Amino acid sequence: MRLAVEVESLTKQFGQIMALDGVSFHIKPGEIFGLIGPNGAGKTTTIRMVCTLIKPTSGTILIYGQDAVRAPDKTRQIISYLPEESGAYPNLTGWEYLEFMAKLQTGFGVNIKNVVAEAAAICGLGDRLKDKAKTYSKGMKRRLLVARALMTKPKLAVLDEPTSGLDVMHAYHIREIVKRYVKDHGVTVLLSSHNMLEVEFLCNRVAFINKGHLVMEGEPKELKARYNSENLEEVFAKVVGYA
Amino acid sequence: MLKGFTSILVKELKELMRDPKILIGMIVLPLVMFPVLGLVMGYAVETAQSEARHANLVIVDNDGGEWSSTFINYVNNSMNVVIINNTTPQHVVDQGLLYKNNSTMLMLVPQGFSENLTRHVSGEYNITARVTMYGVFNAGGGIFSGIGGASAIGLVEGFNRLVAPNLVVASQSSIIKGEIQEGVDSSILGSLLLTQSIALPITIMIMLTYAMQIAATSVAMEKEEKTLETLLTMPVDRFSILMGKVSSTVIVAGVAAVTVLVGYNYMLGSMTAGIAGSIGSGVNLVELGLVPSMSGYLLLGISLFFTLLSALALAVVMSAFSENVRGAQALVGYIYPLIFLPSMALMYLDIQSLPLVLQGVFYAIPYSHPSIASKAVVTGDYLTVILGIVYVLAFTVVIMYVASRLFATEKILTAKLRLSKDNKKQAD
Repeated sequence: MRLAVEVESLTKQFGQIMALDGVSFHIKPGEIFGLIGPNGAGKTTTIRMVCTLIKPTSGTILIYGQDAVRAPDKTRQIISYLPEESGAYPNLTGWEYLEFMAKLQTGFGVNIKNVVAEAAAICGLGDRLKDKAKTYSKGMKRRLLVARALMTKPKLAVLDEPTSGLDVMHAYHIREIVKRYVKDHGVTVLLSSHNMLEVEFLCNRVAFINKGHLVMEGEPKELKARYNSENLEEVFAKVVGYA
Repeated sequence: MLKGFTSILVKELKELMRDPKILIGMIVLPLVMFPVLGLVMGYAVETAQSEARHANLVIVDNDGGEWSSTFINYVNNSMNVVIINNTTPQHVVDQGLLYKNNSTMLMLVPQGFSENLTRHVSGEYNITARVTMYGVFNAGGGIFSGIGGASAIGLVEGFNRLVAPNLVVASQSSIIKGEIQEGVDSSILGSLLLTQSIALPITIMIMLTYAMQIAATSVAMEKEEKTLETLLTMPVDRFSILMGKVSSTVIVAGVAAVTVLVGYNYMLGSMTAGIAGSIGSGVNLVELGLVPSMSGYLLLGISLFFTLLSALALAVVMSAFSENVRGAQALVGYIYPLIFLPSMALMYLDIQSLPLVLQGVFYAIPYSHPSIASKAVVTGDYLTVILGIVYVLAFTVVIMYVASRLFATEKILTAKLRLSKDNKKQAD
């Protein structure tokens, strides 16, 4: 079976700083894969490289067999990215924002109205989509952006801290959306999060990153059993030596 | 004392003074810019005074009497005088005698000058002698360009103080583009000159700085809100993203350029209507070279447009080196001296009067060109305007190329202009 994501020996150096050192992991199609780690561990750097935003110093990234480093243009046709704490254009309405993004994300012959209608259904913002994005709460904005990331049913959706800073209701809504979308449309998801409970709830498999190294990888249930821990937070602490 | 005021004040001062962008923008730049501006203005005044001291005055003596000799001798003590007898001012201009004698001023002592003076000193105080000063009006000159003519008028006053009050009355006329314009007071034209020298450069300064702030904010907002990151992962050509961004600001710039020209034209129209009224209805101000022709306006508009375009492109490039709106605005602020210095200097100076090196510096700064063009279109020097447009266009192409390279690589996200060691930040 062809893998959705194959990352091999990925390194990234910013000047004197080694942000990522020999990271490798694989993601199966239709899987939700979580990258977990503290601030500065290298999660966002990994994600940015997978999304063709920055180039690795060395290593390879294949997305559904497509070389993300050598053929970034082709890779961009099958991925969708939600950056951490990103915003929408404040003076566009939610609807206009979705329409604009749909036009950029889809190819010729795609009915934009259908794509936007799909996004409207995902985010559940109803009539508020007619309002300018600057009037939205943080949670509403995030729901809009998650809907944008999923509306075209990309082969790979990369979500960086999708529920960071949201209240329980909005975070719950977003987790439900992601889970349902993977189930209904077979979208593969790579997500990063600080929230271990979220990761445990959402992800089929997780990888721990610490100081630029991938230190552990596996299914949440399996990892908890292996380290005799109540939750992933405890596993992480034991793996990196905090506990 | 308000509770906590001192602590908040000290904290704010520390925050502000430790930000190198603010330190450079608010303290270092003014410390450099104003002394340089002072030097330029000092040079302008010195040059104008020196020109006035060494200026030749051509006197057409159509009287040839005793008093005219006395008067001319008096003037000759303070200025270098070239005397031409029995001719008309227009003939002097037509024969190029002003140019040959390195002069921009002509004084006509008419027939009957000595007779009138004799009658005045004999007690007929209602009889006065007249002289007419003809100054070459240079629409491209700086605001000190009329200083030579003023000193010649001063000498007439000096002569009156020496002999008798109100003995000689001086009237002023102008020589505009080789034509004598009787009764056109150069001081009235001076007000027009002043407007041209000051109003447009100030408007250009405001427009350029405002447009650059808008463009820089636009890119920085995308970076701050991370919408740029999203856009860069879309299956669209990155050059399209850049061009879309620049093109939108170009449209705004185009509208701004037209607005400035319409306003400028209206202002000149209001001013010149008054001047035309004072010098007679048969005079065409465009033909006189007092206001730009239609083609002049067109060239000025093109010059403004491309200068704006280059400024906007540069603002986009610079804002790529900042992480947020505040940083982008501070970075763009470093360009302002390149806008302010030439614009302010050219209010006071005719660029042609500057030493060659300074001329080169001014021509090399793209933001000088609308100011240079605003004077050149009035004098009909379209070649200077066209060459300026070509230069600014070439500069813009280079900047756009740099911008496209930035957008094509990860530098658009990772490039940072580091002004201090503590700006280093590890990627997550």
